[in-house]
Amino acid sequence: MSTAGTVLRVGSITSQFQRETPLHPAARAFIADAFDRGWADPSKIHGESRQAAILLNEAKEIFAGQLGIRSSQIEFLSDPAIGFHLGTSGLLGAESRFFYSAIDRSEIFAIADLHQSEKLPVGLDGSLIYPQGQPSDLLAWQTMNGETGIVAAAPNEFTGRLFVDATASGADVALPKNWSTALWNSRAWEGPSGLAVFAVAHRAIWRNPLPHIDGLISSSDLSIPLVMASALALEAHTRDYEEKRHILSICNNRIRDFLQAEIGDVDIAGRSDNTAPYLLSFSMLYLDAERLVNELERHGISVDSGSACSSANMEPSHVLAAMGLLTHGNVRLTLHNQTSLEEVEVFLKTLKTIVEELRK
Amino acid sequence: MELNCLGMRCPLPIIKLAAALKTHPEITLLSDDPATLPDLIAWSRMTKNQYSVLGVNKYLVKRL
Repeated sequence: MSTAGTVLRVGSITSQFQRETPLHPAARAFIADAFDRGWADPSKIHGESRQAAILLNEAKEIFAGQLGIRSSQIEFLSDPAIGFHLGTSGLLGAESRFFYSAIDRSEIFAIADLHQSEKLPVGLDGSLIYPQGQPSDLLAWQTMNGETGIVAAAPNEFTGRLFVDATASGADVALPKNWSTALWNSRAWEGPSGLAVFAVAHRAIWRNPLPHIDGLISSSDLSIPLVMASALALEAHTRDYEEKRHILSICNNRIRDFLQAEIGDVDIAGRSDNTAPYLLSFSMLYLDAERLVNELERHGISVDSGSACSSANMEPSHVLAAMGLLTHGNVRLTLHNQTSLEEVEVFLKTLKTIVEELRK
Repeated sequence: MELNCLGMRCPLPIIKLAAALKTHPEITLLSDDPATLPDLIAWSRMTKNQYSVLGVNKYLVKRL
């Protein structure tokens, strides 16, 4: 499903299984109108500024309701990456030990390298053992791994501070009760890029790690239309997902069964009972992912891959390697809300043909 | 038997290794591709064979 002017390739894609999605239609309609009118600074008090302030508060209420937090805890960031720094460095003291997992994002690895830290190993099935920790310690915890869809068990026994990386799961996984800071990415719910939602549970234990004069965290050049568009996308995406979740589970299980029965020599990340239904990462023995992805594209099917040979930096996925899963021949599928079982069947049939050809 | 796969990109070293193992039960693999060790770990689990690290970019693989 391509939107006009955004896809530049030879031949057309008829089946889209890549992570990136266009903006949700509910958001797109709003945004075109909002940008036409031009938005004022909500911190001023007159005319259109008051309108903007009202809109910003409305958006905050929507996010609060959907994400299970309070409006007053919400801040908006124009760059999701900075949220990792705010969410972790703001909770670390001189005595803190920083715990994180081997399948966390590289932004977390970079921050952990600057502190007294401990990388927790992850098992083949995605299982993780959390330390009990001390009150001054920090645990960076992913609600869901963005590559594999693996949903981690909540670290309810951890006694220290908790940074929740919800950037991959959107509103689909609830915050654990002991959260200290949390980060969401607008892209996860088909919202616009260039926006993240950051939350602080209790300001008392958090200290802004960026140079600052006032107490504000939100980016000063925040785009109100973008924030509202994201809120609308979140509501619509959540509704769609509720409706389609069951079908996505069926599609996911169908793919898993087919891979074992018809393709063989395949490593699938996680089990269907500990992964989100809309993500699936699998690696096939003896296959070159670059050739595989290109062949699929020739047949009108676009997918992602975590293999070294398919990425610009030529490094294998640290997530797969950390779990002991095969890294070559990897395909990563995102099943979007509109994905149908028919589309999945076409994909499987095509995949089998390509795999048989490449394995000869 | 020594199998020199230096300079080869994944998954070629593993493909060549599997082919060579059909005729030789023990192979010394030379490979500098960064995916080699992670993939040897996964491959030996999936195919039920054994590997060990002999040195930098050097591995001993046994057919079980």
